[in-house]
Amino acid sequence: MSLEMLKEHETVRTAPVSEAEALVDVRGLSLWYGKKQALYDISVRFPRNQVTAIIGPSGCGKSTLLRSLNRMNDLVPGVRVEGEVLYEGVNIYDPRVDPVAVRRHIGMVFQKPNPFPKTIFENVAFGLRLMGVKGSELEDRVVEALKRAALWEEVKDRFKKESGLRLSGGQQQRLCIARAIAVEPPLLLMDEPTSALDPIATQAIEDLILELKERYTVVIVTHNMQQAARVSDRTLFMHLGVLVEEGPTEVIFTKPKHPYTEAYITGRFG
Amino acid sequence: MNRTLSSPSPEAFGTDPWKTRIDRTFARALVLPLVLAIGLLVLLLGDTLYRSVSVQVVRADEGPGRTYPFGLAATEVLRQELLARGYTEEEARSLLQDPTERRVLFLQNRVELMWNTQEGPFRYVVTGLRDERVADFSLLEGLRRWEELKAGLGEGERLVLNPWLDQSFLTRTPSRSPLTAGIGVAIWGTIWVLSLALLIAIPVGIGTAILLEEYLREGTLNRILEVNLRNLAGVPSIVYGLLGLAIFVREMGLGPTILSAALTLGLLGIPVIVVTARESLRAVPESLRQAAFALGATRRQVVFRVVVPAALPGMVTGVILSAARLIGEAAPLLLVGAAAYVPFYPTGPLSEYTVIPVQIYLWVSMNIPEFARVAAAGILVMLLVLSGLYFLALYLRNRFRREW
Amino acid sequence: MEILKQRPSRNPKEVLTFALLVFLSSITLLTTLGVILSLVGDVAQFFRRVPLTEFLFAPEWTPLFADPRYGISPLIAGTFLVTLIALLVAVPLGLALAIYLSEYASGAARARIKGTLELFEGIPTVVFGYFALLFVTPLLQRVIPDLNIFNPLSAGLVMGFAIIPYISNVAADAMESVPRSIREAAYALGARPYEVALRVVFPAAISGIIAAIILATSRAIGETMIVAIAAGQRPILTLDPRETIATMTSYIVQAATGDQPTGSTAYYALFAVGFTLFLLTLFLNILAQYVVERYRERYE
Repeated sequence: MSLEMLKEHETVRTAPVSEAEALVDVRGLSLWYGKKQALYDISVRFPRNQVTAIIGPSGCGKSTLLRSLNRMNDLVPGVRVEGEVLYEGVNIYDPRVDPVAVRRHIGMVFQKPNPFPKTIFENVAFGLRLMGVKGSELEDRVVEALKRAALWEEVKDRFKKESGLRLSGGQQQRLCIARAIAVEPPLLLMDEPTSALDPIATQAIEDLILELKERYTVVIVTHNMQQAARVSDRTLFMHLGVLVEEGPTEVIFTKPKHPYTEAYITGRFG
Repeated sequence: MNRTLSSPSPEAFGTDPWKTRIDRTFARALVLPLVLAIGLLVLLLGDTLYRSVSVQVVRADEGPGRTYPFGLAATEVLRQELLARGYTEEEARSLLQDPTERRVLFLQNRVELMWNTQEGPFRYVVTGLRDERVADFSLLEGLRRWEELKAGLGEGERLVLNPWLDQSFLTRTPSRSPLTAGIGVAIWGTIWVLSLALLIAIPVGIGTAILLEEYLREGTLNRILEVNLRNLAGVPSIVYGLLGLAIFVREMGLGPTILSAALTLGLLGIPVIVVTARESLRAVPESLRQAAFALGATRRQVVFRVVVPAALPGMVTGVILSAARLIGEAAPLLLVGAAAYVPFYPTGPLSEYTVIPVQIYLWVSMNIPEFARVAAAGILVMLLVLSGLYFLALYLRNRFRREW
Repeated sequence: MEILKQRPSRNPKEVLTFALLVFLSSITLLTTLGVILSLVGDVAQFFRRVPLTEFLFAPEWTPLFADPRYGISPLIAGTFLVTLIALLVAVPLGLALAIYLSEYASGAARARIKGTLELFEGIPTVVFGYFALLFVTPLLQRVIPDLNIFNPLSAGLVMGFAIIPYISNVAADAMESVPRSIREAAYALGARPYEVALRVVFPAAISGIIAAIILATSRAIGETMIVAIAAGQRPILTLDPRETIATMTSYIVQAATGDQPTGSTAYYALFAVGFTLFLLTLFLNILAQYVVERYRERYE
């Protein structure tokens, strides 16, 4: 199928998410970087307290879609967006909405761990301080976040003095997760969070994601299909900026409806 | 042409002996400039050090040209010198106890430690304002002729091996006589002018760097500022001096004071600080900014809570290096009024003043051989200060180097 | 929902911070304005009293004589002489060093050489002036007997050394940015290192190299202390490097340190010379930028 045919395509959906279940409702989202279009009319709903994975070959727009959910794309000069992204019913692309306010409700973890060159404590406290949290409440919430990110046991005796950069790769990523969840964001976005980590660290993070979904809604971009299969409840498959198919993870991986999805799953391209 | 492949010889490949030789000579020739440059530095340092020590025959204006043993306090030395000059015990004691009198005495006389004298090594000598230098020899010649000179000493004369850079040099004021000249005033002047200049250059320099790197990475204002900065960096420092002369000294009526100098030097320092600050900011990886934005920080919060703290060691190093460059600037300050003979310590931003490089210039251009020695001592002081700053910057750079 | 109501980016602190940064940056613009204004005003005064033709073409600069003449040629000649000598030293040595840095030096050696050059750059020019007058001149006088104590030769030689880092840094950067693949192609054709350096890299980086030379010239012209100390402050029109001369910069120093009463033509002459200096260096700097922009090879 060429891009032309893809653009006419209607997303194939299995067991689509209802409005009531959705935390985020994307409606007709299209995005351009300058003259180049990166997302074509994407509509999809992300259900609460579940893990949704976005998969697809390189360059298909999965990171772009993810970053559209917290308006991180706004930071790229020359970007243009059409359509709506409803978060709890509010369109975050409404011109009256300040992107900075949006980002305080949504957490993000990046591909390569990027802790600040500060102490572990200060890393986790950063978002809380932005909200004005101080004193003992601050400290309690930092500890809580470190516990939930499964990092507390390893750093509890040094988290106030030691720099975040002294941790191993896997630990740094858990630190970034702790930093993101410290402010209790209902939505957590993860952009290939384990692709820079070794298998053991990857396993630890995947276990963590399964725990996190009890309190948070997670959307994870991954190029590792096995990971998507292990960790997510729903999966989106994208190609060339188009949402080809979406549905429950077992369906996508065992009974994909669209030939492209099947071709990708079985490794015939991408 | 009957060479078999089983026994190839190097000649089969036709190495050209000429070209190999050229290549080798070429490579060696390229190192020549470095060798010459290092040679120049060595000669420079050597000349300065050598010139800063001399053997002299000095005739004391008052008194017998005595020397005093090492270990005595300066006041005690002076007391004994007064006695030697013919004052009585009570006169000497009252002169030394009265603070005004004592101050005058110390102004007119310099107590210094000589490495060798006619009465033995490491002894104190009191040099008066009107002491006259009878003969002055370079180190080697003087040492060679030491005994001969010692034998030929006349009434009231002393023979000394004089290190021009000594503790008293650092604390004395400039003077008409090279024997009592010192760099103390210039040191204070430099401290005053530099501190005030940095007070201007640092906020403007770092502010501009932050604006260009974090807020306005492109656009018309960015381009205007960048072109402007590039041109300012290429303007000769003496033109800044003319600016200072016309605007600060004359137009604003600030006169030849520390304030004019600080304003002029501050403007001069801005482009340098902008460059180093921008480098430090640029070295902070973009992913840190992204992480901070994703947490919902505003641009101000991202810049001042994450980026600047991360870039801080680099910026501090940059400031130290800029300060080192500013310390050595003489031309613009000469224009703004550091030229006059200034024999007293500055008391505030509206004082007259001089700075180290200007003082050195004045001494060098006096064309009197001993002032060349004084200048050499001054240069050693300046080089020591600069080395100190460079080592500090290097230490900071290494200590706070980060692997992102 | 509250998202709509919050506007952290419009927080007054944000706006104030931005405004503060713009204000601080504008001081750099004001500086340029200041330079131009301070020069232009007094230059205009000067040309009200001295005709432009005299300034440009008269062969004498004698502001303190009873019948003063204000021809800038002697000063330009002096500047030209010293600069020429300096470039004769700095260009070959600087370029040789640049070639060495970009083609021959290993990583560790490169760092050490750049460190030494930084050291050189950090030495105040007063010190070089002292060296020129008190070490180099007596040395040269043994070889050239009728060399004056203040002469452009010593000053030029020492200045040449002082300028080497400026040439070698810019030229080395230009040469290092020539992509490896071009060098490899030359080696693969059987060229030796010196052929690659001279016939491939050097021509490829030529725009940067020329820019380096132009910038160094600009610096040499604007350099003050070395000439003020060692070259002299006697404006005469000559190209003999053994004679004492004055350059634009050494004249400015001399005039400013001898107290000129404000309002005298001699005072304004100071600014006329300064303005000429400013224009010259500005022209050279812009020329260097133009050369780089227009003639740079783009390899992608």
